[in-house]
Amino acid sequence: MRHARGSQRGTPAATRYDQDVSPPDPALRPLRGLRVDLSARSAQTEELPVEVARAFLGGRGLGAYIALRERLYEVEPLSAQNLLVFAPGPLTGTGAPASGRYSVTSRSPLTGTVFDGNSGGNWGNALRRVGYDYLVVGGALDAPGYVEITADGVHFHDAAGLWGLDVPSSLARLKELQPGAESAVIGPAGERGVLFASIVNNRGRSIGRGGLGSVMGAKNLKAITVAGHGMHTPPVADPDRLEFIVYEAEKLLKANPITSTALPEFGTSVLVNVLNQAGAMPTRNHRESVFEAAEAISGEMLKKDHVQRRAACRGCVIGCARRTTAGGQSGEGPEYESIWAFGAECGVGDLTAIVQANYACNRAGMDTITMGVTIACAMELTDEGLLPDGPRFGDARAIVALAEATAAGTGLGAELGVGSARFAASHGRPELSMSVKGMELPAYDPRGMKAQGLAFATSNRGGCHLRANMLGPEILGVPKMVDRFATLGKAGLLINLQNLNAILDSLSVCKFTAFAMKEDYYARLLSAVWGETVEPQELLLIGERIWNAERLFNLAAGFGREDDSLPRRLLEEPVPAGPSKGHVVDLPPMLDEYYVSRGWDAGGRPSPAKLERLDLARMALAASGRP
Amino acid sequence: MLQQFQQIGRDLFVAGVVSSHGGNMSVRMGDRILITRRGSMLARLEERDIIGTGLEENDSNVMLASTEIGVHRAIYQATSAQAIVHTHPPYAIARSLVCDEIVPVDSEGSYILHKVPVVATELTAGSKQVADLLPKWLKEYDIVMLRGHGPFAIGHLLEEAYQLTSVFEMACRIMTIAEGMGQQVKEYRKGSERYETW
Repeated sequence: MRHARGSQRGTPAATRYDQDVSPPDPALRPLRGLRVDLSARSAQTEELPVEVARAFLGGRGLGAYIALRERLYEVEPLSAQNLLVFAPGPLTGTGAPASGRYSVTSRSPLTGTVFDGNSGGNWGNALRRVGYDYLVVGGALDAPGYVEITADGVHFHDAAGLWGLDVPSSLARLKELQPGAESAVIGPAGERGVLFASIVNNRGRSIGRGGLGSVMGAKNLKAITVAGHGMHTPPVADPDRLEFIVYEAEKLLKANPITSTALPEFGTSVLVNVLNQAGAMPTRNHRESVFEAAEAISGEMLKKDHVQRRAACRGCVIGCARRTTAGGQSGEGPEYESIWAFGAECGVGDLTAIVQANYACNRAGMDTITMGVTIACAMELTDEGLLPDGPRFGDARAIVALAEATAAGTGLGAELGVGSARFAASHGRPELSMSVKGMELPAYDPRGMKAQGLAFATSNRGGCHLRANMLGPEILGVPKMVDRFATLGKAGLLINLQNLNAILDSLSVCKFTAFAMKEDYYARLLSAVWGETVEPQELLLIGERIWNAERLFNLAAGFGREDDSLPRRLLEEPVPAGPSKGHVVDLPPMLDEYYVSRGWDAGGRPSPAKLERLDLARMALAASGRP
Repeated sequence: MLQQFQQIGRDLFVAGVVSSHGGNMSVRMGDRILITRRGSMLARLEERDIIGTGLEENDSNVMLASTEIGVHRAIYQATSAQAIVHTHPPYAIARSLVCDEIVPVDSEGSYILHKVPVVATELTAGSKQVADLLPKWLKEYDIVMLRGHGPFAIGHLLEEAYQLTSVFEMACRIMTIAEGMGQQVKEYRKGSERYETW
């Protein structure tokens, strides 16, 4: 191991903010950042004014702000010019429910859009304890290495002995090298440039979906460790008030059957039977929406045959994670979406194989949804006679073998590593990719949940249920049940949910809390932390600002109304059987209603008045500089 | 959408929180509002009783809309509400005549509401004063009581706003019954002394 230049331009990176600021450290203050230039092996501290904290909070919002301001829409995602913005939020580490999260934002190599992912565990908390509200990583190392962040400075290390290791081995090795430090790592998939490679911390907490692991890999950056153990906790302006609000919030979480019973007992896999019974479980590359073997891959079966014990992120009262075993292996998960992607979407009813395919992805550091949906796409191409000797729907061995081959870059796996959109296009059938803006759709068939279709189409990061999951109002009755087959009248509900999720990702709080809590609780939590009143409406306005900032980025990157769409199958092929039989998604009127409700023009561009109201006009001007 | 108006309108009347021609409801549809007709009977709503008009700009339909259209518009413009329910519940109105805020003592009311502010204006029905005052409060609370008149409740859906109204009136009724017993109310909720700061 070598301590390369610890490097310092301008203010020394070794500065300890909790030493140079007299206590009590104000909770609402300029954002303290650390900028690492991998090419120069240097680091410097920086600040963003308190107005940025008020306008974008932290986490995803701060990432969107930096990505837009620094014009990442002009850079190639896998180039040294791309940046990775790591950012916890103002609630991270404060004791607010399920708040131990952080976000990573960049331009995605999978979608080309602005992209953020967030993860639980302890990494974000550690960064705040060291004294930083965010970390920007740019440039590229000339050889594989990793970065160590401590209160004493930034150190650059050789990754010899780490590069090539899978995720569990990498985390274990770093624990030996950096005892007490928290690590965010990539696995072989990120090193190899798989376009849906993840960044992983704390065993199985992943920044998944958009391939930010491959952005790290392209920078020759194996890991970032943060030594925050034993350091100061983040400041809270009114701890007594925070304790009161946390108590009231946890009453809701403990009383709500979703957060107090279903998720703790079954994890997210509790949704398998629920979605299947609703006729909203995409099956065999979305050809159907009911899977005949759903019972065999349900949460009940996972609990019976595979779960060892529950697990939870730090400070979470829900505890949705699972330690499992399958076929002599053990690991984390799978989550509902992973079970679906390798299961129903591939026509596979063998839960042991599904769990093992999930493990293969976890070891490699790959997104399970994109992996499963890309395999399903290959299965349909095989059915269509376009992939000689390709995998067949229902082939349980194939899902494990192809996940491993993709991680290794061998055989057909070498082709699948680009995701289904590029893969299907390369075989002349782009319409067989079940993706939006290049990212694979998750486990909710929009033909049985119409507003979910609108949510997928308008998602700023491609086919994603985490921008807004209409599962709540369309299936579970949260906040209230709406007609899931109705086309119009739900745009306002969706927009509120999109704005709310932008807030949760920026605070940073787990979205599962929103099954029980409304926006006023988050506003009260933030008010207690900041020591000044933040109204719920003000918070939602921040969410709207973040959403529009992301939209501006995507417009500048060349995305428009034509990209706010769904795979042709969902628009034109009626569901053949089950509760959603005969339904397709009638998207254009929904999109029209959505744009009007957003204050956007018919092309999906925010109006000048909207940008003015959100105080984004100046940034829009900057973004419009692109031809 | 008509069915939602009909079902909730009927429920509001049956629950006794509106008189025969009292109260009004609306939902936001982008830059439009669907609002109950002026003088309509919430228990007997028909298609002609649901009036569509602009969120910001008037059109000819405004002459048919509820007297409270200005208040509804102001609320939508200032908040993220997608639906509004305004009623005249007797126990809540009575209590608003003697309280500046209403802090429920029952479990459901405490759990869902914590506290409901009471605000007052000289002109209570459809006035600009109300349109100026209420949205400020509804930024922070999902239900606010207009003294002597009735609560305005907001939600993402009509059903949500209806639920808040129903829980609020039930809480006021329980408080009235409990007070009528002439006994000291025994506290059972940890931290309830702080609900006034909610």
